[in-house]
Amino acid sequence: MNIQASHSPNVAAPAVAESLQEYGRGVAGGLLFSLPLLYTMEVWQTGLNAHPVRLLVAVAGTFLLLLGYNRYAGLRRDAGMTEVVIDSVEEMGIGLMLSTLILWMTGRITFDMPATAIVGPVVIEAMIVAIGVSVGTEQLGGGSAAAAGMASDAQPGKKEEAGRQGTAHERLGGANHGRAEGESSPEVTFGGQLVITLCGAVLFAANVAPTDEVSIIATQISSWRLLGLAFFSLSLTTVILFYTDFTGARQFVRTRALPAVAVGVVIAYVVALIASALILWFFGRFDGEALMTCVAQTIVLGVAGSLGASAGRLLLQ
Amino acid sequence: MNTPEKNWLEWAVFAVGLVLVGAALGYLVYDAATFGNAPPDIEVRLDAPAQQRQHFTVPVTVINHGDLPAEGVRVEVVLEASGAEEPERAELEIPLLPRGASREGAVAFRRDPRTAQLTARLLGYEKP
Repeated sequence: MNIQASHSPNVAAPAVAESLQEYGRGVAGGLLFSLPLLYTMEVWQTGLNAHPVRLLVAVAGTFLLLLGYNRYAGLRRDAGMTEVVIDSVEEMGIGLMLSTLILWMTGRITFDMPATAIVGPVVIEAMIVAIGVSVGTEQLGGGSAAAAGMASDAQPGKKEEAGRQGTAHERLGGANHGRAEGESSPEVTFGGQLVITLCGAVLFAANVAPTDEVSIIATQISSWRLLGLAFFSLSLTTVILFYTDFTGARQFVRTRALPAVAVGVVIAYVVALIASALILWFFGRFDGEALMTCVAQTIVLGVAGSLGASAGRLLLQ
Repeated sequence: MNTPEKNWLEWAVFAVGLVLVGAALGYLVYDAATFGNAPPDIEVRLDAPAQQRQHFTVPVTVINHGDLPAEGVRVEVVLEASGAEEPERAELEIPLLPRGASREGAVAFRRDPRTAQLTARLLGYEKP
C-alpha cells in the first residue's frame, strides 16, 4: 500500500494516505471503546448536570492521561514531547468531533438547545472517545500484524523511523515482535508502567462507572461480599499479571518471586482503586453519600478497574 | 524545540483539534466564571387546549430558569368548571430538567378546558 512512501529515504512527513489510514484507525478505535457510553443515558445526564469546573477537571485529567499514554505506550514510545502534545490535542479534537456527530445523529443534541445542554454531554463523551482514539491509533495498527510477519504495510504509525532508514521495515518488525515477547524491547520505566496501568484501569472502569448498577450493588452488598470482591480483584490481578502468560506480560514480569509478585499486584490494585474513585467522583456518585457507600462503590468498581489495570494494561502497552 | 514532520492533513487536523479544544475549554471557563448557585427556578406554561378522541389535552411547557438542575419535577394542573363540581386534576412529571432547559408535555382532562378555568403549579422536585 504505502510501502513506497515510507520506504523512500528522504521522505520527511508521512504521505497523506498514511495519515488518513491512521485517522481511520483512530476513529474506529474511538467508536469501538466509547460507543457503549455514547449510548448510555447516565453519561448524557452527568453532562447536563455537571458543574463546569468538574467538566474542566475532566478535560485536564483526560489530557494528562492522553499525554501519558502517547508518551509511554506502544509505537510512539520514542516520540518527542512536542509531538506527544500535538497528538494529544488532535485526539481530543477528533473526540469532540465524533461525540458531537454521534450525539447529534442519535438526537441527543439539537442545535436549538441552549449551549449548556450541548457542551456538557459533548465534552464528557468526547473525553471517552479521545482515549479510545488514542488507544485505537496505537493498537489497531501495526503491533500484532507486525508480529505475524505482515510488517510491510502495517506501519503507518512509525513515521520517523520509516522515513529515516531503508531497512526500517525489518527492524520495526523485529522490534514489535520483541515488544510482544519481551525480549529486545527497551525497558519501560516504572513511571511509564504506572501511566499505562492507569490508562488501562480508566478505560475499563469508565465503561462501568456511569451506570446506576454500581451504586445499587454498593448500597445493597454485605461487608463480607465486599471483602470477597476485593479479594477477587487481587486474585484476578495476580493470575493475569503473573500466571497466565498473557500477551505482553513477560515484558514487565521478570520474576515470579513472591515479594515481587505481591508488590506488583498491590500497586496494580491501588492504581485501579484510585482510578475507580476518581471516575466515580467525576460521575457525581460520591455527592451526598456516606463515606462507607463511597468506599463500597470504589471496591465494586475496583473489579473492573483491576481487570483494566492488569489485562487491559498488558493489551495496551 | 524541533518541529515534528507532518503533512498538511495532519496539521489541518491538529488545527481543527486545537480550535475545538480551545473553544470547549473557553466556554467551560466562561461558564464556570458566570455560574451562579441559584436553586431551580421552575416556570410552568400552559398552551391552548385541543380536543382529541376521548379527552381534551392541554400542552404544558416547563422551564428551569435557575442555575441548578432539577430531577423528578412534578407539575399539577387543576381544571375548575363553572358548575360547582369537584375540580378535575391532572399531573405531569419531568424526569430531568437541566438548568436553562425547557421540556414540553401535555395533561389530559375529561371536561372541556376551553370553558373552564385552568391553574398550573409546581408540586415539587428533587436535587440530583
